[in-house]
Amino acid sequence: MTEATPMGTEIDNVLPHSADKRWFGKSGAMIGLIEIILLVMGALAPLALPDYITIYATRVLVLCLFALSFDLVWGYAGILSLGQSLFFGIGGYAVALIARDANIASIFVVLPLGMVVGLVAALLLAGFLLLGRHPTSVVFVSLGTMTGAYAADRFARGSQYLGGQNGIPSIQLMTIGHYELSEGPVFYYLALGILVFFYLLCRFMLRSQFGLALAGLRESEQRIAFFGYRAQHLKAIIFAVSGAIAGVAGSLYAFHEGFVWTNMLGVVMSTQVVLYVLFGGSGTLIGAVIGTLVIEALGYWLSNAFQDIWPIILGLLLLLVIMFRPAGLISFVVSERERVGSFGRPVRRGGHGSA
Amino acid sequence: MSRDGQQINRRRFLHNFAFLSTAIATGPGSWVIRPEWANAAEGSVKIGIATDLTGSLAFNGNTDANVARMLVKEINDAGGLLGRPVELLIEDTASNESVAVGNVRKLIQRDKVDLVVGGIASSMRNAIKDVIISRGKTLYIYPQAYEGKECMPYLFCTGPVPAQNCDKFIPWLIQNGGKRFALPGSNYIWPQTINAYAKTVIEKHGGEVIFEEYYPTDQVDFSETVSRVVSNKVDVVFNTIIPPGVGSFFKQLYQAGFSKNGGRVGCVYYDENLLDMNQFEEIEGLASSLDYYKSLTAEDPVSARIQSAYEKQFPGKFRFSAGSAATGVYRGLKLWEAAVKEAGTVERDAVAAALDHAKIAEGPGGPAEMVPGKRHCRMKMYIGVAKNGQYQIASRSGGLVEPKEC
Repeated sequence: MTEATPMGTEIDNVLPHSADKRWFGKSGAMIGLIEIILLVMGALAPLALPDYITIYATRVLVLCLFALSFDLVWGYAGILSLGQSLFFGIGGYAVALIARDANIASIFVVLPLGMVVGLVAALLLAGFLLLGRHPTSVVFVSLGTMTGAYAADRFARGSQYLGGQNGIPSIQLMTIGHYELSEGPVFYYLALGILVFFYLLCRFMLRSQFGLALAGLRESEQRIAFFGYRAQHLKAIIFAVSGAIAGVAGSLYAFHEGFVWTNMLGVVMSTQVVLYVLFGGSGTLIGAVIGTLVIEALGYWLSNAFQDIWPIILGLLLLLVIMFRPAGLISFVVSERERVGSFGRPVRRGGHGSA
Repeated sequence: MSRDGQQINRRRFLHNFAFLSTAIATGPGSWVIRPEWANAAEGSVKIGIATDLTGSLAFNGNTDANVARMLVKEINDAGGLLGRPVELLIEDTASNESVAVGNVRKLIQRDKVDLVVGGIASSMRNAIKDVIISRGKTLYIYPQAYEGKECMPYLFCTGPVPAQNCDKFIPWLIQNGGKRFALPGSNYIWPQTINAYAKTVIEKHGGEVIFEEYYPTDQVDFSETVSRVVSNKVDVVFNTIIPPGVGSFFKQLYQAGFSKNGGRVGCVYYDENLLDMNQFEEIEGLASSLDYYKSLTAEDPVSARIQSAYEKQFPGKFRFSAGSAATGVYRGLKLWEAAVKEAGTVERDAVAAALDHAKIAEGPGGPAEMVPGKRHCRMKMYIGVAKNGQYQIASRSGGLVEPKEC
């Protein structure tokens, strides 16, 4: 347990301690421990759960991947991308179209396609929002991404080719060779595998020098700029990576749910993902996963138990956590120091050296 | 829930209250209504309702769920279906397709229902139909008025479609308004499809379309549209703008003196619930084309019986009206009941085959029957004209109107 640090003061507290972090120190083991516990639970879940919950859980895993992509940009690069759903939705629409019009549903085509489409869309948006001649403000980027998502939503609603407001239904099943991947344990393990793969990729990336620069960027963009980093380029790179991951999540989602619709592109999805990460705790990767799991599980249970008012109860719970635990659920077990993470070689004894 | 009489007394209240609190406390699989049944052990027939209990369409969804509750109670009180009790399972689609798919899967995979009725928006139908039909191997009835063109096997539509909305309505509008039409609509599929159909009917009957325009669904200022209507001397505004914009559109039309100068507003989906959105003088003379109006209760004893039974059980704010798909749910469940009785089983293919030509003699607004091979419903249609906040029936279709779909 740690003291509840208000968001504002973190910035000043955190940096001087950075060198103090250990990969697996006394207090540094929590994240790794949680990761392992969750992975084991995830791997065993289908054995214990009835099929229909496994299918629900598959969907949640895909949403975890989406939340992961948002945590990358928000928790690590400090970009509040209010239009993350744009990349999720565009990935979904791309694979839905290729399945509908070209009759291609092979996993080896559709997932890379979703990824590339998400990547390209994110690069284009980043080029516009981040790589201008002058550095752009946080608010500008937030509103810019939101506008992008909103515009895409509107466009899809008006386009007959994209199915308009009704979306594209009846997407065929994804195939691996001749095997058709219907919902169930197999799809679950596929989603779990993909989630773990991207999780490890992100983790590796964020623990590298690149991640260190990002952490610096999040805490104080000016200092990083003075060190000679091109802050805007760093942001654009992470933004693009995050777009690619969201694209993969979107294409998995499209095949699992069997349809795509305009809200996948618009504010409904992008606010949902902000909530997942806010609830779980940003900037730890695993917080995003926990937030998604808890919100979706709560939603599932509440919509059974309190059918008429469940969104209100869920909303109140979210509000309570965010009011009293601004750093999210993860802050109950992971200290602020650990959240920031450690970089480079482990230091034997902590001292207040420079980062 | 219980069969101990209709009046609400203290004991009944306590009974219901206890049931409700248990349901809340234990968090049952669903909002299950279990009949007190002698042979429940044989296994019940399960009907799943997937509708928007929360979210932007909750107003409609709760009405639909109530209609299903009422009908299932009636069926059980009358001895059930095939000698088995009917169990109703209601899931929330939350006006959110992503949530809906998860919840509909509960109905299909966990509860293994024999039928799903529900979905209000077309996007919702598209989202859940695969879960129900292709992947779930279950029968699906979609009760809402919609733009047509849904021809998937095992998907039966029991609400009116553009042909039923327009075939009688447009000639009536020409007679009672004029030949110059304006077609303003919200920018999505339903207005576009129904306007495309309306246009052919207008031209066939010697009318002309002055302009056809689409606006974002959240636009609320229509002064430019209104001035085009006035300056082009439009006789009939055939409106497909949806709430919330439609309220201010009608207000602005009224303020411009459109109906005072002899103009006529037609709007096919406008039911009694929506009349309350405006001051009554603003929508005086508005004509609507629906399969049911509450004022029919004065002339049709069947409608009167259904309406009063509903109001007795559900006196709250969710009113029985055509626009909320309440009539479609009623028709759908009754047709399905007839089909199950004919088939003698709840097995999907047998029921679908019987449902294909099912008929009911009594329903809200009149009888209804499926068009064989088309999976759409013939029904009576009515034209209502708003007068001081009430609809008066201005015209009745002679017989059942063809859906002309598929």
